[in-house]
Amino acid sequence: MLKEKLQSFFKIDRRWIFLVLAVVLFVPIMKPIGLPNKTISPTTQRVFEFIEKQPPGAFILFSLDYDPSTRPELHPMATALVKHAFKKNLRVGVVTYIAGSTGLIEEIFEKVPKEFNKTDGVDYVIFPYMPNILAAMTQMASDIYGIYTKDRNNKEIQSMPVMDGIRNYKNMSGVVCITGTAILDYWVAYVGDKYTVPVAGGVTAISQPGYGPYLQTGQLKGLIGGMKGAAEYESLIKQPGKGTSGIDALNLGHLLVLLLILTSNIILLIIKYL
Amino acid sequence: MSETWMIAGAWLASGLTIFIFSFLYKDNPFFKIAEHLYLGAGMGWLFQVSLFGVWGPKIWEPLTKGDWVVIIPSLLGLSLLTQFVPKLSWISRYGFTFMMGYGAGLAIPAGLATDFLHQIGGTIKPLSLMASMSPFDIFNSLLVACGLITVLFYFFFSVEHKGHFKKVSNIGIYFLMIYFGAAFGNTVMARFSLLYGRFDDLYTFSAGKYLYATQAILIGMIIYFAVRGFMAKDKEQEAAH
Repeated sequence: MLKEKLQSFFKIDRRWIFLVLAVVLFVPIMKPIGLPNKTISPTTQRVFEFIEKQPPGAFILFSLDYDPSTRPELHPMATALVKHAFKKNLRVGVVTYIAGSTGLIEEIFEKVPKEFNKTDGVDYVIFPYMPNILAAMTQMASDIYGIYTKDRNNKEIQSMPVMDGIRNYKNMSGVVCITGTAILDYWVAYVGDKYTVPVAGGVTAISQPGYGPYLQTGQLKGLIGGMKGAAEYESLIKQPGKGTSGIDALNLGHLLVLLLILTSNIILLIIKYL
Repeated sequence: MSETWMIAGAWLASGLTIFIFSFLYKDNPFFKIAEHLYLGAGMGWLFQVSLFGVWGPKIWEPLTKGDWVVIIPSLLGLSLLTQFVPKLSWISRYGFTFMMGYGAGLAIPAGLATDFLHQIGGTIKPLSLMASMSPFDIFNSLLVACGLITVLFYFFFSVEHKGHFKKVSNIGIYFLMIYFGAAFGNTVMARFSLLYGRFDDLYTFSAGKYLYATQAILIGMIIYFAVRGFMAKDKEQEAAH
């Protein structure tokens, strides 16, 4: 009798699980619980230190290559990294090889520069979307003006103060690529290794484990992984944002999954040995 | 952006999100509308990117400035389209040949250096520096080396995996399983993050300044499913009579 009752647990309509998951993820958005995010992974710490140790005025090239499909994970980390760069008074250049990211880049640069009193063309420059990523990366090794002559607003870049002394990778302090695609691999292979340019990255949680070998060998200076990584970076720069607020939902979601796995395994064991 | 457009955007975004999620309950025409719209909008987006992001700045603008060299890559690109005309499809080989040569020339040296030589070096190098390493780093280096060798052995099929060889390849399986477990755990986390992102937007659009878009559409969907459920029940009863 008990066995049959327990077996009925496995016939539960999965739509109930969807509903519970929706509630679990939605409630913290309406009423934040404030679960702490106390662990900082070493790879995120390495990205932070990489930016932190740059002297004021150093030029960092951001390759922001993500579109709305990975926005919840990557947008908070890109925002946090740009904030950190501005806080350290670094010069920021932004390239993109995903057409869908142009709107998201504008979203960041509409708000963040104002917070730090930074000016377009003086403290940062946003290059237009460029197709054929490998051609652009290779060209930038010799002369950036061979591929980018104007910024996204059609203004000449060579005369901009932000580009003062910048001609190729040798004049840059590093590259930070935020992407949900294989573009970070390209930066490592075609720029980092080839021209000994420090490359750091931020990727979706799905791609994160695949970059372990590059971190081990030092080919990647550091890596921010998923929304958890974004929350870690926000806490490192002491500016909580969307990544931090997402941690409540993620923690509760993970607890639900653990609970479901544990419950079903315990029920299975009871059924087996009853 | 004007307020009207902001409100319209909020209704569109929350509507399409709820329509797509409604499939989790049951297939319905609203889901189909959102699905087809997504495909159409995606194709439209790609077309305009090609037109304004590639064709315009890379071909049209240089040509208008008298840079005729761009005709060569353009012709090579156009040659790929001859695939659709069987009698002329041989022309596409020129385009493909160029792409193959260019791609291989870039990818092979970079791939060998980055994913092969650097990785071998990264595995061996720490073993030669053990005297200056902490016990944890020594353990870590040995673990990486052990993982590399056993996993490579698992994929080496020229020796029959039995006896000691089987034990080595079995250790490789454990390393692979740990990787798959970590990858799957991260995948779950990533999916939750994406879901959180959509819910966060839905919550934003539920505000009064967006005319309660989320609530209105959600209630509309619930009413639709309720009416459809009642109608289906009536039909069943009629059929039974």
